[in-house]
Amino acid sequence: MSLGTLVLSLADNKQLLGLRYAEWAIRAPSLEADIAAAAMGLDDIGHSRVLLGCLDQLGDDPRGSERESDPSAYLNLAYFDEPWSSWPQFVAANAVLDTAFSVMIQACLEGSVEVLQSRLRKMLMEERYHFLHGRSWLRAGIAPEPLEDAWREALEWFGPPDGEVSDLHRKGQLAFGPAELVARLEERLETAAPRLELDWSDWDPRRRRSRQGTIDARTFGMLRGLEERKFMPSGAARGT
Amino acid sequence: MTREYQRVHDRVKEYEVFARKTRQEALRLVGSVVAPDGDLAAAYARATYDEERWVEMAIVPRDAMTVLWAPGEEASE
Repeated sequence: MSLGTLVLSLADNKQLLGLRYAEWAIRAPSLEADIAAAAMGLDDIGHSRVLLGCLDQLGDDPRGSERESDPSAYLNLAYFDEPWSSWPQFVAANAVLDTAFSVMIQACLEGSVEVLQSRLRKMLMEERYHFLHGRSWLRAGIAPEPLEDAWREALEWFGPPDGEVSDLHRKGQLAFGPAELVARLEERLETAAPRLELDWSDWDPRRRRSRQGTIDARTFGMLRGLEERKFMPSGAARGT
Repeated sequence: MTREYQRVHDRVKEYEVFARKTRQEALRLVGSVVAPDGDLAAAYARATYDEERWVEMAIVPRDAMTVLWAPGEEASE
């Protein structure tokens, strides 16, 4: 796996996280939480665009034409495959996964690659408020299942101890390897990761996940712009 | 139909939100948010009032403000 593929994974996950946040913009438990969900959704979709814009300068854009037809070409975690059905799923993603992505962004920012050093700083400033939001809701208490799911996917996303993230760390492109990424996530969340048996035998190094599956058809249509095209005047779709 | 917003936290506080657009102007009250703690209040304030390009934003718990007089009261009372 190249650094470009890792950055694409970060971009795809942030895009899906942003979409899932936005789906809660009128369903959260309070008006303030609605607004925060909308704002964080916009932030993460914006971060995704910035990350995609770095791929050219990394000299390696791993996006292929299969992204138009194959939802498994998106490098998102299984946690974002389907819309969340409960607020605790939102909170677990907000606290654990969003923070895991921020820790990886920090590793890119402090690594040796110039385009990442220069473009990702503002992202972390905005992420500070996502973190405060997630941590506060987490402290209020949520069901253990979504929290364990989020932790499992975060640990899998960081990758195995001797995998490619470790290689990128050795090359200096990332400031932290998998063990330090986990330690930093634990430190930020002020809690130890749950003791989980991680089986790397089915782990997909490109999608950085073990669970099979892909994003739902409606979300995939939205990502490809098909949902929007339904509302276009008939001539506009043909470029006339 | 107006939606009834449910506050899931048992205890919430009101926080006043202050901001300014330039270093020269004073902080001014731009609104308020309701949250159980300062962390969430900060996240809510930034999400709700971030539409302007503020150079500074601050929140203060409403109950930390000392009211000298209120509407309808005289300053000398």
